[in-house]
Amino acid sequence: MFNLSELENDALVEIFNIGVGQAASSMSAIVNEPVRMSVPSISFMNRAAAGRLLGARDAEPERICGVSQRYVGAFDTDAILMFPEDKSLEIVRLMVGESVPLKELTEMEQEAMCEIGNIILNSCVGTLANIFQRELRGSLPQYHVGTSDEILTANGSPSDAVVLMLHIDFVLEKHQIHGYVAFILDISALHDLKEQINLYIARAMGQA
Amino acid sequence: MDTEAKRAAHRLSLLESVLCAVNVGAIVLDGERRIVVWNSWLERHSNLPWDQMLGREFFAIFPELRGQRVDAAIQQALYNNFPSLLSQTLNKAPFPLYPQPGAPESERLQQAVEVTPLAVAGAPRHCLIQITDVSIAVAREKLLREQAMVLRSQTFSDGLTGIANRRHFDVAIEKEQRRAKRGGLPLSLLMIDIDHFKAYNDHYGHQKGDQCLIQVAAALASMLKRPCDLMARYGGEEFAMILPDTDVEQAMLVGEQLRKRALELALPHERNLGELRQVTVSIGITTQSPDLPVEIDTLINAADRALYRAKRNGRNRIEFLLPG
Repeated sequence: MFNLSELENDALVEIFNIGVGQAASSMSAIVNEPVRMSVPSISFMNRAAAGRLLGARDAEPERICGVSQRYVGAFDTDAILMFPEDKSLEIVRLMVGESVPLKELTEMEQEAMCEIGNIILNSCVGTLANIFQRELRGSLPQYHVGTSDEILTANGSPSDAVVLMLHIDFVLEKHQIHGYVAFILDISALHDLKEQINLYIARAMGQA
Repeated sequence: MDTEAKRAAHRLSLLESVLCAVNVGAIVLDGERRIVVWNSWLERHSNLPWDQMLGREFFAIFPELRGQRVDAAIQQALYNNFPSLLSQTLNKAPFPLYPQPGAPESERLQQAVEVTPLAVAGAPRHCLIQITDVSIAVAREKLLREQAMVLRSQTFSDGLTGIANRRHFDVAIEKEQRRAKRGGLPLSLLMIDIDHFKAYNDHYGHQKGDQCLIQVAAALASMLKRPCDLMARYGGEEFAMILPDTDVEQAMLVGEQLRKRALELALPHERNLGELRQVTVSIGITTQSPDLPVEIDTLINAADRALYRAKRNGRNRIEFLLPG
């Protein structure tokens, strides 16, 4: 499997933490309450392993709620924010302060989930792009519900694609919710990413 | 004009017609955030004609949007080339757009907004703001929620007295506490207990005891005027009352009215040890101030202690304690 050196890994974790930090402050501004987000770790895995990571251990695969956006430019990637469906219900209702939970996200709540995904993904990718001093173009977010396998393959990524998986902690009003952001990358995008990280590290070292 | 230029002019006028026919609001801003497109849909819902809007600075027209989500989304589009989605659920109605602008007391259109970057040849990036009217969907979901609430209320009411049960109270106090915190509003909580109720039960029997609970609950619940106020059976002969956006003075006033209302019932109570041989209530009151929110447990505990103090000071009275 594709691997980063410890230094590269730390640099990327740091970059993503800056990204989700900005996303958290945008969301705090919306709900007028503290929202905290962090990325404790990242890992690379193939698409099949990524599918298993999210609730596929049980006999009945867990339903996952995903928000995806495609970014192209310095490197091309499908970025997908994923939460178990019940957690996504929890997040949206905590954000909205709604007191009558229905069994599934309503149409309007799905749109709110899309906005939350849009904020998180744009912040993560935007921080990457700024730090790499490169530009990416993004699409509007799309909402998906299904097994993690269905969501990871929704955009027709090749089976040998590599997934850069971010573990995300989301804290709002005493609730801590774990989720994931998956970046689906092909081999050339991976190498572009690695190259950009090394350029960033070289610049950081040069300035130090 | 040669044919190529004619075709281009034709395409342009066609595109303008389309832009004016579509059923969404479309604003295009240039790299300096000046308005370069303002379509008919917007004219219809804002009363601002396009010829007065062109070239104007966006935030000069909508100063209240500066620093808000719309501002951040425009920034994302112009500088990072990323589109943003602003859902109605999280943003309600950011733009001052109305079904019939100028009509008195009309409510804003409920809006879903998309802000997308636009590449323009030979100029810095522009962005397109699309506004969709989602009022119908919002109304439909409100209805859905109300119906779910009706169904739920059947599992949320106390079997004996018909008022809210403890489960309902637990959900409501959490909701109201968060709303108070977010909105910077006071929140009052009253704990109400029927004096010497055990003695009443022993003397008159459980059936009479149940009747007494039903009558007191109905009388006190009928005193609540606002839909957000809630009276619940907290346990045994104890009731809890949540009064959102109610400060100390108002809460004391309500507490006193409730105490008097119980007296007016004039239910005989031979074993009430006070001067009055009738059913009375003691009430503990607490209020969370807007600038000092506390934990729910702390709030309940303060009301409980105030109730205990009312009992100790002779019953048939109200007492107030600050939370914490």
